[in-house]
Amino acid sequence: MATIPDDIFFATIIEINQKLKAKEFSVRELTKAFSERLERLGPRYNALGLSLRQQADREARDVDGDIKRERFRSPLQGIPFGAKDLLSYAKQPTTWGARPYAGQVFDYTATPLTKLAKTGAILIGKLAMVELAGGPSYRYANASLTGPGLNPWDRTRWSGGSSSGSGIAVAAGLVTFALGSETSGSILTPSAFCGITGLRPTYGLVSRHGAMALSWTLDKIGPMCRSAEDCGLVLHEIAGADARDPATAGKSFYYAPQFSRDLKYIRVGFAPVDFDDAAEPSARPDFAKALETIRSLGVQVTEVKLPEFPYGPIISTIISSEAASIFEPLIRSGKVDELVDPKQIAGLKAGLEIPAADYLKAMRIRSLIQSAFSDLLDNIDVLLAPSRLGPAPKITQPLDRPTIDRPASLTALIPAGNLAGLPALSLPCGFADGMPIAIQLVGRPFTENTLLAIGRDFQARTDWHRRRPPVS
Amino acid sequence: MAIKLTRREIATALSASAVLLAQAPAPPQPQNSPLSPDDELKAARDSIRQNSEQLAKFPLPMSTEPATRFKA
Repeated sequence: MATIPDDIFFATIIEINQKLKAKEFSVRELTKAFSERLERLGPRYNALGLSLRQQADREARDVDGDIKRERFRSPLQGIPFGAKDLLSYAKQPTTWGARPYAGQVFDYTATPLTKLAKTGAILIGKLAMVELAGGPSYRYANASLTGPGLNPWDRTRWSGGSSSGSGIAVAAGLVTFALGSETSGSILTPSAFCGITGLRPTYGLVSRHGAMALSWTLDKIGPMCRSAEDCGLVLHEIAGADARDPATAGKSFYYAPQFSRDLKYIRVGFAPVDFDDAAEPSARPDFAKALETIRSLGVQVTEVKLPEFPYGPIISTIISSEAASIFEPLIRSGKVDELVDPKQIAGLKAGLEIPAADYLKAMRIRSLIQSAFSDLLDNIDVLLAPSRLGPAPKITQPLDRPTIDRPASLTALIPAGNLAGLPALSLPCGFADGMPIAIQLVGRPFTENTLLAIGRDFQARTDWHRRRPPVS
Repeated sequence: MAIKLTRREIATALSASAVLLAQAPAPPQPQNSPLSPDDELKAARDSIRQNSEQLAKFPLPMSTEPATRFKA
């Protein structure tokens, strides 16, 4: 029985894949070690939704057989991963992080999980999440069936959400990668706060069949990993058309950063205020260094401004309207009151009262936002901004503090990018108050390879993505 | 959605559900909300009204249709 070295828990997909091929350890041994770690440490950080250890062991045995016969299917073959508990896994509970759905069981598996199973990747657990992926809004970090997501870098701070367990599990070395989902910030925020690399794909690139719906016109499924390269490898496998999700764009994704344009031809737009006055003071030094590192890649850096729109009211109206429609049975049955967060309960109830005219107005302005971003990204390839303006807040801190409106900044890039359906990559770029901080790159629809190429080069020059929290 | 499960599958799911609830370190306690449920609802309605006012300030030509498609 081979012993799994600690370094393996923090290794990338390619590093583990090479060791599996070299037969340094078997997939079963690897799966057992990761499953034990997930079960032991996951609850400590409120990251574990459900261990799938028995199923994982059975699948690992099959994959070992494939590797023995040299049937190599994918770099993901034999890699242990976790999935946000918003994705269904047949005949096992899928809670959506919410008490009213604690016993919910589906008879089918979500398409991204089915696709990963075909590669030989091993699903070892469902990961905790903010209840109903945050719904219209929530005030406290403890808005979850499993309690507040505790940050592996400091358990008194929040992991970020709503893909809280996914962020924690990757950062703490409980899985090699995880799937998360984003409606507006739910991949980028936990990735930034936990110090991992997260990719929000273009709307429609990854099927959401089998995923809880929060907002049909905004929901995306994406990878949360150790590196940009790992994000590319996972996206390669989960992207593509799916007749069971009518919003899929019918496009595949082939991870091929070697074929992306030379970085010297890439135009990167940023707003200086984001890296200075808008950022929290403790984060400014490492944000400034990150900006310099981006410049050193040889890209053309230029200043930009976001098109001016009321992004907050628009995205709030759309999410609240769609979420209220989706969860109308929950609201009308009164079971909505079983949720933890009083702000989310009230938001769902009030969402049923939004006039249709307001929803349509928001969606009409959204058309203009898409056009405006299309024009902006005619001249700029990639937008650059801090993923969040500072490190993770304390878990007791209210999360719904009002934001400061800064017209010259890109601080609205998360709602804006989601409204426009644009892909985004969050890269760890330093520390503030001992906690990770990150930058985000946002590109045109379906230009994930460009973002990943920049991310890969950035990570070749930095080691922030290699830092490990003091997990025990 | 209604699904058909065998007795064994139901037992497995229920035991997994029990394990899931047992794994949670402690039931999450609602934080002390500064507002009563009625005030929370009033605040949510106020927020919707404020959003509506913001949207109303944005002029739109009749030809602007709702966003339904995303193109590369």
